[in-house]
Amino acid sequence: MAVETSYDLPCGRSLEQLWDHIDAADEHERACPHCSTARHSLRALREATDELAADRVQPRIDLTERIMSAVRAEIRGRGEMLPLDAGDTLQVSEQAVAVVLRFAADEIEGVRARRCRVRAVGVEDGQTVLHAELTVATTYRDDLAELLATVRDRVMAACAASVGVRLARLDLRLADFYDR
Amino acid sequence: MTTATTQATQPSLDDATLVARARDGDVRAYEELVRRYQGPMFRLALRMLASKGDAEDIVQEVFLTAWRRLGQLQQDAAFVGWLYRTTTNRCLNALRARRPMADVDLDMTETPRSDARPDQAAEVSAQMSALIDALGQLTPQQRACWLLREVHGRSYEEIAEAVDSSVTAVRGRIARARAQLAEVMQPWR
Repeated sequence: MAVETSYDLPCGRSLEQLWDHIDAADEHERACPHCSTARHSLRALREATDELAADRVQPRIDLTERIMSAVRAEIRGRGEMLPLDAGDTLQVSEQAVAVVLRFAADEIEGVRARRCRVRAVGVEDGQTVLHAELTVATTYRDDLAELLATVRDRVMAACAASVGVRLARLDLRLADFYDR
Repeated sequence: MTTATTQATQPSLDDATLVARARDGDVRAYEELVRRYQGPMFRLALRMLASKGDAEDIVQEVFLTAWRRLGQLQQDAAFVGWLYRTTTNRCLNALRARRPMADVDLDMTETPRSDARPDQAAEVSAQMSALIDALGQLTPQQRACWLLREVHGRSYEEIAEAVDSSVTAVRGRIARARAQLAEVMQPWR
């Protein structure tokens, strides 16, 4: 197959030139029959391309379900199991705790929880003590310090109230800003 | 707890948030990403392969692979680019497998038959249908570059990465594709 590198019309203009200013043709391009033919074709191509780009032909309706059941079939580990009491007779998954912490942060306006990692660091007075790392995104604002303090309070409180263990340390990371 | 999971499926959440959650194993966040991007990936694959069934198989593989590799993704914001790259690659591989001779003449390139796209029979204009047929005459590489740029609006840099080539080569392929397609679009020929 011969590889052509230039698409010059007999008049010397290139197709690329025509394409670049197709809506602002100069005098030559309007008068020249070669240019005029090529411009018509490019316009027709552009119209058809717009139509193709706007096309919303959909895959079979159950494709999402097919994908998700394959995903669920090989679901990743639910994370470490964390002991809830000193005797290790009650355990909760790291993920379950992470859901509670993320939700507490999500409930605050302008805050979206992203990643959350939780681990047990020991037992105090017969109660498990946790450390957590939570990444959040927030909207742009001038009271960030105050907002993050609220996140910290709510997340700590939620851990005590909903999981029943003490969150001794929360490393809060602001990863991103998002538009409202 | 129910509220927490409902929250993850809100379509208003940005991609990076959903990707970060999915990376933590949040299946519902991942499902939202699938719903958001299966359409564009399907349409890219459909125009590459001219077969609904093959396109659906590829989309399914792409999203399953993406789930497995979420942990390796360096930046949450890179997810969509990764989807386009993987979908493009899988389509090119599928086409290579279909036609064992790599560089056959353009004349021998399989033209998508109209019966392979029953869904379009009714609504598609003659112009768009001519364009779809003309796409089948391009080389797979040209077709991929042209579709990614003109239909999916991806950057030249991203396309170069997706087809494992240089920006200059991508620009050249798109220019060639455009010239070839424009020629077919002449109504009076």
